[in-house]
Amino acid sequence: MSLLSFPKMPLKGFKPVRVQLVFNHVARLASSKSYDPKSHDESEFRQLEIRPVRRDRKTSSKARMMMPRDYKRTNNIDPDKADWKSIWPGPRSFDPNSIPIPVRQGRLKPYRRAFDKYANMELMKIPSFFHIPPTTIKAQCEAIKSFCTPFPNQLNSKEKCEEHFPLTVITNDYLHSAPTIRDPLARIVTIKLKLKNIPLDEHARDKFMRLVRDRYDDKTDTLTIVTDRCPLRKQNYDYAQYLLTACFFESWTVEDWESEKTEADMEKYIWENNISAKALASIVKWSPDKLGKSIFHDTLPADELKPEHLVLGAAVKKVIEGETEEGIEEYKKAAMEVLLSKKAVGLKA
Amino acid sequence: MAYNFSQNIWKNALLSSNHGAWALHRTISTTPVRNRVSVGRYKPLEGRKQLLTYDQAIKPHELAHKKSWNTWNTSTLEGGRRSQLTTIEDMFIRRFIHGAWFCHIKGQQIIIKRQHNIIRIAFCLPKKLPPQSVYFITGFCERLLSIWLHCPVKLEIQAVENYEGYVKIV
Repeated sequence: MSLLSFPKMPLKGFKPVRVQLVFNHVARLASSKSYDPKSHDESEFRQLEIRPVRRDRKTSSKARMMMPRDYKRTNNIDPDKADWKSIWPGPRSFDPNSIPIPVRQGRLKPYRRAFDKYANMELMKIPSFFHIPPTTIKAQCEAIKSFCTPFPNQLNSKEKCEEHFPLTVITNDYLHSAPTIRDPLARIVTIKLKLKNIPLDEHARDKFMRLVRDRYDDKTDTLTIVTDRCPLRKQNYDYAQYLLTACFFESWTVEDWESEKTEADMEKYIWENNISAKALASIVKWSPDKLGKSIFHDTLPADELKPEHLVLGAAVKKVIEGETEEGIEEYKKAAMEVLLSKKAVGLKA
Repeated sequence: MAYNFSQNIWKNALLSSNHGAWALHRTISTTPVRNRVSVGRYKPLEGRKQLLTYDQAIKPHELAHKKSWNTWNTSTLEGGRRSQLTTIEDMFIRRFIHGAWFCHIKGQQIIIKRQHNIIRIAFCLPKKLPPQSVYFITGFCERLLSIWLHCPVKLEIQAVENYEGYVKIV
């Protein structure tokens, strides 16, 4: 990266301006006169210099060490034979004297050649991967292999992993370019669990759903609990475990007032408890001697329900939850099947 | 333009206020904008020309097209932390390095890169400096900066020839 074709030639038109005072000159002369005990032998008789003679410093004092003019190590590196991980052991800025390949970056005009690697600050800015070429990665992996244990071969499928370890705990670690490793977002703990892995009956499941609300995803059957209210990750993890345990045992308790739930409190339509089932029972169980009496009957017990009754129940439920053309059609068909089919009529006759 | 703007404000104040004359005193004083941009643009000095490094030769509006930044860290990314402190530390590092090396730094260009908790400071020095001084000041800077900034600091110095690194004369 040199400006001129002859870099040692002083630049044309470039002359550093230096204001030199007479005082400086006088001071330099005076300093050369000063007595230096090392340069003079004690036995030597000191002379009085009327007109001081300038001595060459280099000859009198120790020769000054200078950086060698050309110490480009790259000229001696053979890229094929060199042990690269000892030349470039860790991440560092680009060093043109260690990298034996011609690299260029940066140009002032598009038709000019890019500047070479020496004194090229653009190359020093960018992050490089010279410290992790494939050979180095391989060597480092070999080195840390003795500290690793093999993965248990019983857990060879995803299903088995889920079966033995149903609870998933998700935490995040953050790396910043800063002297601190703390980040407030690292405290957040997420636990995930598939509900099929915990025992819940119909009542407990219903109550569990009410407790966890939108934390349950019915598409994937997954419960997700995120805790971030405590300042430390450990505390948040313990709190999440506590929440899960508390919800589970709470869902299994049955309070006294839960038996007072009426049809109006039901959150979904259950055909077996409803008036439609009772009406069907009264029709099925009707006999001529019940003329003039109340036709309402208790619902049929489960063992007396026939498949067509269940089909009718499903059709009724479908109509009640959302009335559509197909639903009505299905309901009509099911009702005809129950009431007017040859089998039903024949049985009656 | 400034006059018109204050006139409009004046009229609006007259139209919108029902509370008497006190609203007439509420005007905004503006001055015309002077779009003079001179930072990072080098001109010939009086009496002599000056040499520019690549970083100096490229104007600030070409940043990220022809040259990259001198500071590399993650504090200004989304979710990055302590951006203010990082900036102030960078300013301090630049001044300290510039003074500790007796203004010998080529083009006054100091690159500060932060990786995790390591700070890498890269710059070019002339080869003429005596090696003893170079080693001493390197250790001096690394030691003091790592004490002050509470993290390891590494100086990555490239020694260059006298006229090497200069690419343009203005």
